[in-house]
Amino acid sequence: MAGSQLKRLKASLRDQGITGPQKSKKQRRKLAQDGTARNDKRLQRGVVLEGIREQFNPFDLKHAARGPKFEVTTNKPKTSNASVKGRPGLAKAASEEKRKQTLLVDMQRRNKVGGILDRRFGENDPTMTPEEKMLERFAREKQKTHNKKSAFDLEDDEPMDGLTHMGRSLDFGEEEELADDFQEDDLKDDEDSDGDTREKRLKRLRAIIAAGEEEGGEDGEPERKKTKKEVMEEVIAKSKLHKYERQAAKDDDDDLRAELDKELPDIRKLLWSGLNGGKHQENAPLSTIAGVDRDAFDKNFDIQVKKLAQDKKAQPSNRTKTDDEKAEEESTRLKRLEEKRQKRMMGEEVSDSDEDEDDKKKDTAGGRQEDDEDEDDDDDDDGFGLGHGIKTRPTATELGFDDEDDFVIDDDLVASGSDLELVESDDDFDEEEEDDSDSANQAQVDEDDDDEFTKGLLNESETKDPIFQANFSSKEKSDENGLPFTFPCPQSCAEFVSITQDYDHTNLPKIVQRIRALHHPKLDSKNKERLANFSVALVDFVALPWNAATSPPFSVLESLIRHIHSLSKMFPVEIAKQFRQHLEEISQSRPIALLPSDLTVLTAIGTIYPTSDHFHQVVTPAMLTISRYIGQKVPRELSDYAIGTYLSILCLQYQQLSKRYVPEVINFALNTICSLSPVASSKSLGNFPVHEPSAGSRIQKAKKVELRRLNFSDCLAENSQEGGNALKLALLGTTIQVLDAAADLWTAKPAFLETFSQVVEVLSHVNSKPSKEHLPTAASEKTERLEEKLKRMSRVSQLARRPLELHHHKPLSIKTYIPKFEDTFDPDKHYDPDRERAEMAKLKKEHKKERKGAMRELRKDANFMARENLRIKKAKDEAYEKKYKRLVAEIQNEEGREANNYEREQKARKRANARR
Amino acid sequence: MPAGSQDSAKRKRASTGKVTKVAKRRLSSDEEAEDLNGKILLMEQGILESKKNYNDIANLLSIASGYEDGEEESTLAAVALCRIFLRLLAQGSLVAKKNQSEKEAVVFSWLKDQYSQYKSLLQDMLKDKDLAVTALTLCMRTLKAEGEHLHNKEEYTFPQAFLEGIVATLITSDSDDVGKAFLESYVEEFDDIRYYTFKSVKTILGRFNKDDIPDGLFDRAFALLSALDGVPQSAEELEDFYIPRPKKKSHNLRSAIQHKRQGQDAWLAILSIVQSKDERKRILSVISTNIAPWFTRPELLSDFLTSCYNAGGSMSLLALSGVFYLIQERNLDYPSFYPKLYSLLDKDILHSKHRSRFFRLLDTFLASTHLPAALVASFVKRLARLSLNAPPSAIATVIPWTYNLLKRHPTCTFMIHRVVQDPELKKHIQDNGADDSFDPKETDPIETGAIDSSLWELVQLQSHYHPNVATIAKIVSEQFTKQSYNMEDFLDHSYASLLDAEIGKEIKKAPVVEFHIPKRVFLPQDEPATNPDSLLVKLWDFGEPANGVAAA
Repeated sequence: MAGSQLKRLKASLRDQGITGPQKSKKQRRKLAQDGTARNDKRLQRGVVLEGIREQFNPFDLKHAARGPKFEVTTNKPKTSNASVKGRPGLAKAASEEKRKQTLLVDMQRRNKVGGILDRRFGENDPTMTPEEKMLERFAREKQKTHNKKSAFDLEDDEPMDGLTHMGRSLDFGEEEELADDFQEDDLKDDEDSDGDTREKRLKRLRAIIAAGEEEGGEDGEPERKKTKKEVMEEVIAKSKLHKYERQAAKDDDDDLRAELDKELPDIRKLLWSGLNGGKHQENAPLSTIAGVDRDAFDKNFDIQVKKLAQDKKAQPSNRTKTDDEKAEEESTRLKRLEEKRQKRMMGEEVSDSDEDEDDKKKDTAGGRQEDDEDEDDDDDDDGFGLGHGIKTRPTATELGFDDEDDFVIDDDLVASGSDLELVESDDDFDEEEEDDSDSANQAQVDEDDDDEFTKGLLNESETKDPIFQANFSSKEKSDENGLPFTFPCPQSCAEFVSITQDYDHTNLPKIVQRIRALHHPKLDSKNKERLANFSVALVDFVALPWNAATSPPFSVLESLIRHIHSLSKMFPVEIAKQFRQHLEEISQSRPIALLPSDLTVLTAIGTIYPTSDHFHQVVTPAMLTISRYIGQKVPRELSDYAIGTYLSILCLQYQQLSKRYVPEVINFALNTICSLSPVASSKSLGNFPVHEPSAGSRIQKAKKVELRRLNFSDCLAENSQEGGNALKLALLGTTIQVLDAAADLWTAKPAFLETFSQVVEVLSHVNSKPSKEHLPTAASEKTERLEEKLKRMSRVSQLARRPLELHHHKPLSIKTYIPKFEDTFDPDKHYDPDRERAEMAKLKKEHKKERKGAMRELRKDANFMARENLRIKKAKDEAYEKKYKRLVAEIQNEEGREANNYEREQKARKRANARR
Repeated sequence: MPAGSQDSAKRKRASTGKVTKVAKRRLSSDEEAEDLNGKILLMEQGILESKKNYNDIANLLSIASGYEDGEEESTLAAVALCRIFLRLLAQGSLVAKKNQSEKEAVVFSWLKDQYSQYKSLLQDMLKDKDLAVTALTLCMRTLKAEGEHLHNKEEYTFPQAFLEGIVATLITSDSDDVGKAFLESYVEEFDDIRYYTFKSVKTILGRFNKDDIPDGLFDRAFALLSALDGVPQSAEELEDFYIPRPKKKSHNLRSAIQHKRQGQDAWLAILSIVQSKDERKRILSVISTNIAPWFTRPELLSDFLTSCYNAGGSMSLLALSGVFYLIQERNLDYPSFYPKLYSLLDKDILHSKHRSRFFRLLDTFLASTHLPAALVASFVKRLARLSLNAPPSAIATVIPWTYNLLKRHPTCTFMIHRVVQDPELKKHIQDNGADDSFDPKETDPIETGAIDSSLWELVQLQSHYHPNVATIAKIVSEQFTKQSYNMEDFLDHSYASLLDAEIGKEIKKAPVVEFHIPKRVFLPQDEPATNPDSLLVKLWDFGEPANGVAAA
């Protein structure tokens, strides 16, 4: 744009139509007539002028230092007037104006009260008490007067007691003072009538002090100096006044408190009505009544407070529950228990699914070490084991106990044994919650519990009686004489043996029964411990080395095992520990040289504990002990085969319910058949390990030998030597039966074909001609039958076989690494997922901003004050200068005049002299 | 090393000194013996002083040869002779000079004769149990002196014949102590002794007829050589010499390769006298650690290894690592390695005590992801089949191993998940059940058809009686989220360790007790019709036949 500033201004004014060619009169009149239009125009004109002014004063506006930035997404959204960032000129002027109105006024009023500079000492010091202020001021004043003393001070000698008239002091001043004081006081009181008393009092106090001060300062001082005595009196009077004031304030407070106390019942009523309904309403009038009498009131108050506290704390959640509710709760509890039981039962029936659950748990942990897994097992086993106990129940009913009582008793025992913990814990729970009225109920429950125990035991012994009577009825009478009714409770196996050695083995169950009855835990508190030791001793007794001649017959062992079984419901830990100790001993001293007594122990374990558990503290080690023997033993003697066969049978019996696969059984059975078969096979018959049989183990020329069953004495090495062909045949026959049972047990296994194809091969080898010649027809028939059966089962299994489809899992989603997008993303906002941190950041930012603003303001204030001070100083200096100049001029003026006068005088004298 | 060897040399000297001292002390106790001892010392003195007394050497020799009767003086005499000959050697009396007078020549040849007599005497003494260690020390000192002085100083000569004699005595004698002492104080310490010992072993063993090798020869030779595992890698490592080393740098003794070659030859000589299976196994057990490093051409071992590998059974297992070493390091072409490996998976492998060792190797062999899936599938299927008859500890190994392989070869996962799509095939399966295409008799792992089969065996093992094994077996049917299992966690288990793990745990919670107390445990039920006997009662005779024994 060309031209000077002025030219441009003119041009723009013309452009906007503000200046222009002169309008004709006609036009002007027309415009004047149209009032509204004129008004509009004037407004418009103002706007336009403003615009032009802005345009011509670019420094009024603040612009960005650089030109506009490129558009990017994170740019802050622009405000409407993008280019102008602010109007520093205007802002500055506004702030200046504001400061003038506030800060400047403050500055000017500083240290002044009502336009007068307040120089009183300590007036603005809040740390000083009025007395201190007074004393300090007094001291200062004294100092001042003292300093002022000069040698020529005439007033010093004769003290003046105020104005005197004819020697008498004038006391009207004092009266005036008081009058003024009271007037002021009244005035203030009136003003503050609605304020609270305390505030009033403080104000009044201040006013009094101020009044006193003013008088002292304004009235007294110019009048005269107060004497020391006067001043002291004044001070004392003032302090008394303050004291009184404080007293009055305290009284005021007390009054207020009393008033509040009176209102308390109402407040409490208000509180309780919200809290507890109408229950405590009746108490309210009582307390109001008590409120009159102080002691009674206090007492009542304490009681109420205590009640309040107790109320809140001890209020039971179900206290107000009605009977209906309680019944409902009970029913839900039962329902829950029932559901749990149901679940366990399901786990039993489909034991696989239960295991699955266990395993899932383990597998999520991935490749933990086996030890970890073991621990898992340990944790899981309880629930699982419990479930198991119930699982067998339906089978028990299926078995169809004819003796109804027996079954019921068993049920009781189960309840007390397995659910005992549960019941107890529930009772505890109840105890906490129940009121006095329920405690009777509670006691009843306890009693029930105890009853269950005793009843179970008593009933059991009762039910046992007929059995024993049935067994030993012939001996009963004769024994009745020889058998004492009381026995000491044996604490170890040796003791038990020594007690019983005098009696026939057949009496053992009777003795055990009597010991148990005599030492029932209910009879003596120590009996429980004694019985525990006794049960351990019984386990040891069963595990004593077996000998056909001296050991008790199996019918006795059987009933002893049953006794241990029933005792182990009372002492599960002790007996389990003892069994485990036996297993440990076996594994340490004779892992592959088991004794017949070990077989008894293992059998006992199989009946006492639920063998179908996924994991069981006793059964699992026992199972391992068995499989270790039949898996690792290389049979040398026929007795080894016999023990192995017994253990194989036991294995199958352990797995009767859970149908778990035991590879060792197949291995051992097949190896046994191979070793016993009359001729060795030329080729490998399967994947089982074959141990070269010892010489003479093969069945030779036994065409005529009868098939018999195996018995326990076959397990003894010295006996097995003599057995010969009969024993070998018995072994062969039993092994074939074992395989038969195994096939039945594992018929549904997915690899039945692979498992039993080896069996078929071995059997066909035994059935081959060279072997057949040596075997009795009964044995070979048996073999053939089993072979046929297995072939049939194999065909069925083949038909049922399907390719595996194990992995119908939900496909795993691929991990995504795409960040989470905000649809309405705002770069200024913080998307901090941590709420607290976000809030903290927000606060910090705000604080920083405020701080900066405050600092800026303070800086500006300081500038402003400096400017103002400078201005005042300048003004002062200027005034001084002016005055100085004026004075100098005045003096010079006067001097000049005097000089003129002098000269004139001189001239006049000269003239006069000359004249003379 | 040099400092150490000096130390040991000093110790040797000190100990010999002690021997003489001990001998002296013994003399003082015995009057007569003292006389003889004094005489021996006098004779020694005389011989060293003047040539005239050389005849006493013969006397001393005769005294020394009396060791067999247990005469104590003989030791002293032998020690005195040692000193004498050391001095003579140092004097050069035993070295032929060019211009000798006739008389001198006679003395020289006589001395030489005495010297060789003394050496053979020492070798004989080595066979004596009590004196062997002393004799060894004397031998070695004489050896050292001979090596240093017997020949011209410029030329390096090692008294190889003498050492050979010593080694031969050691190898054929049955005293363990002296062999051990020789090994520890000389062969392991000094590079030159080791070198010539290898050489001697080779020639000594070569002397024996293949048909009549004495018992224990292998044991001693093996014990001697298997202890030598410090294979020199470069010439700089060869710095311990018993006899000052040859100055020529190109001498065989100063080349590490020559040392290795001697070791290799000695080992080959031993391999040639191997007779029993047990000896082979002993060699196989150290072959990759102690033997192979000596071989500059390990392929020389391949004959031995392949013959062992082909032998089958546990021998093959042991040879496996050696063969693999050759394949890996020496590019040995063993075309039927995998079929052979497959054939090792027989019914005994999972019951073998080398199981964990085998699985470690098997894991290495099948680690490659480039192996054909059919081959891997065969291995998996075969092991699954075998695990049907395996102990729990073996199953616990097989299953994680299978998991790892399936994870590595996803093609093989059809073995655990195969959805039949073909409608015809589907119908066939509906009607006849799924056929197992796996042929267990096939020896070539590529041809077994296992890849088209399914692992029903592993599913059966999910219901294994041992809870932990059953749990491990379940990983096959879970999602394969884990990258791989660390096999080391699963390898070393046994019945004993499993049982200990169970027994070792304290009972914290009361074990569950069977709620139903059976009426009969051993005896048949009273009413078998309603309440059938247990299997045990059916199959076993407990001695008291009741009325209703169920006929099995």
